[in-house]
Amino acid sequence: MKREHNSSSSVVTEMGGSGKNKMFEEQQQDAGFDELLAVLGYKVRSSDMAEVASKLEQLEMAMSVSNSNNTSFEEDGLLSQLSSQTVHYNPSDLSSWLQSMLTEINPTTPSPSSNHPITDNSELGPSVFDDLRAIPGNAICSSTPNEELGPGPERKRLKLLGSVTESTRPVVLVDSQETGIRLVHTLLACAEAVQEQNLQLAESLCKQIGFLAVSQAGAMRKVATYFAEALACRIFRFYPQESLDSPSLSELLELHFYESCPYLKFAHFTANQAILEAFQGENHVHVIDFSMKQGIQWPALIQALALRPGGPPTFRLTAIGPPQADNTDALQQVGLRLAQLAETVHIEFEYRGFVASSLADIDASMLNLRANEAVAVNSVFELHRLLARPGAIDKVLKSIKSMSPKIVTIVEQEANHNGLVFLDRFTESLHYYSTLFDSLEGCGTSSEDDQVMSEVYLGKQISNVVACEGVERVERHETLSQWRVRLGSAGFSPVHLGSNAFKQASMLLSLFGGVAGYRVEENQGCLMLGWHTRPLIATSAWQLGSVAHS
Amino acid sequence: MKRPPNAQEHEEKLKKRRIIQQEEEKQKLGCEAEFHNLNQDMLFEILKHVDAPTLAKASCVNKKWQKTSNDERLWEMVCTRHWVNIGCPEEQVRSVVLAFGGFRLLHSLYLRPVLKATALSQYQSSTIPNKWGKDEVHLSLSLLSIRYYEMMDCNYKGRKKF
Repeated sequence: MKREHNSSSSVVTEMGGSGKNKMFEEQQQDAGFDELLAVLGYKVRSSDMAEVASKLEQLEMAMSVSNSNNTSFEEDGLLSQLSSQTVHYNPSDLSSWLQSMLTEINPTTPSPSSNHPITDNSELGPSVFDDLRAIPGNAICSSTPNEELGPGPERKRLKLLGSVTESTRPVVLVDSQETGIRLVHTLLACAEAVQEQNLQLAESLCKQIGFLAVSQAGAMRKVATYFAEALACRIFRFYPQESLDSPSLSELLELHFYESCPYLKFAHFTANQAILEAFQGENHVHVIDFSMKQGIQWPALIQALALRPGGPPTFRLTAIGPPQADNTDALQQVGLRLAQLAETVHIEFEYRGFVASSLADIDASMLNLRANEAVAVNSVFELHRLLARPGAIDKVLKSIKSMSPKIVTIVEQEANHNGLVFLDRFTESLHYYSTLFDSLEGCGTSSEDDQVMSEVYLGKQISNVVACEGVERVERHETLSQWRVRLGSAGFSPVHLGSNAFKQASMLLSLFGGVAGYRVEENQGCLMLGWHTRPLIATSAWQLGSVAHS
Repeated sequence: MKRPPNAQEHEEKLKKRRIIQQEEEKQKLGCEAEFHNLNQDMLFEILKHVDAPTLAKASCVNKKWQKTSNDERLWEMVCTRHWVNIGCPEEQVRSVVLAFGGFRLLHSLYLRPVLKATALSQYQSSTIPNKWGKDEVHLSLSLLSIRYYEMMDCNYKGRKKF
């Protein structure tokens, strides 16, 4: 950890940096000398840190001001004075050393006692401090260490105003751990305010979230920013219109998400394995894909069919996709590419694309199903959208049944973001997306581009969950148990994903750098991929069959 | 192996002796006779018996060696030597793999990393095991096919491949 001790600007701007964090943790733990500075030869008491910081600031200000006044070092500037004429005693005791230098510069500068902000700095000019005052005092370390969290958002607001009117320069120190907790509490308080329609309070809390978020690093900061944005959208009724997003943009984002983390790959590989096993012994196979996008799930299946012991079947693929804003037939293009790929491995391939704004518009009769073929239906992150319109999901499940599929593979997010109460949805999604963002950070194999775009991709989902309502809110994720009930009552029975799928999934994950983080779990025949202890997506397979229900 | 190991070693010794003799002769003639002037076919025969790292190193020697070492048949041997029977005939595997980019690519981009990663996670060692299971092979083949598909679209090129 590098520190420039005589550059106070680094002290000022290093908010929430990990170095600072450690410093304050130690402050709480031992009242002795700061370990990190001790290693470098400076003896500073942990309790005096604030004081030392402010002295360093003053000294730097003095030096920079005097430098700008003098044109050359030959003149009797502060620097030359300090370097040649001043006698320095015991520089390792930073506090007193700085004090001695400061009194050299300006004999009238009072020695500041800990935590009292400096008020009189007329010699050094007021303009330098204005920008620091702009930072509200409460977001940064408060003078009372044990503040109450949670109830009392009004109290926080008043404190904000109070510190500004005192025209003090707050000492810029951040305890990132404490602000992290405060951030989460503020987010939840804001959501609660929104739910209670207390929009003024919600607005001010929203601003606070912005400041608090800056003090964090990495995943927490990004998640908080996205949630704050979404809350702001909800407060100001500026609903993000999903329909305005061109499908090609969302597909591009999903592609980056595909590259940067294993979730989509896991989904595709496990679904393909289930389909492959169901198609054993069949000579004509037909896959109906509800989530075609760029068709990246299918090359692997085509390859696996090509290398099937006993020879490959004929492969028919029907894709159902949303209408394109720019009139290009994306589905057709994807089909051409897949056809080309199938040709190189000598697989008889047939492709048909259907454009439909909702899956509920598709009927089995449109698909031209043939008698001798085995049908599989595949849906990756698509079914939950149907929950936005009443009756849509039942219609779709019914039409799936009429296709008489041999297997239905469903991949969905493992979270309940479809509760009736807004605050519950908010809390759930906060935990879910925090974990997801954490896993993105933890997985070191992806490029910067991929990671950033994946975050944007997830950010859009967050906006939808938090800011939209009614038909617009399409990200209505439900847990596997909820889907089980739904599919069971619609007449489907579960198919257990075999150990092959599990092994392949584990192997896939071992390729991704963050091995320690990702976990594959088996849950009554379904596979779930999660980060540490939290499952994030679930793959399940279904077939037609009666399930006894009351 | 077709021949008993002793005969094979013997033959290799003979070859080496011949090579050394050749070198000595050429040195006498004052030419820069080196091992790399070896006949292409001879080189091919020798390289049939080496393992993957050696084969890869061989391709770095010079252009002639590179041409010979990059021969797909050699890499096919390297791959199929260790992998357990995946159930379908050789020609089928060969046509699929060659269509998607070849054995050398398969090995360097996917087989080797997958095997290393599994060895690391299961046995905590980074040495590649001698028997390559079905799952590793299938996973690598799938990833190869995905890469081929991605490369079809020029937008995908230049991305990190996995």
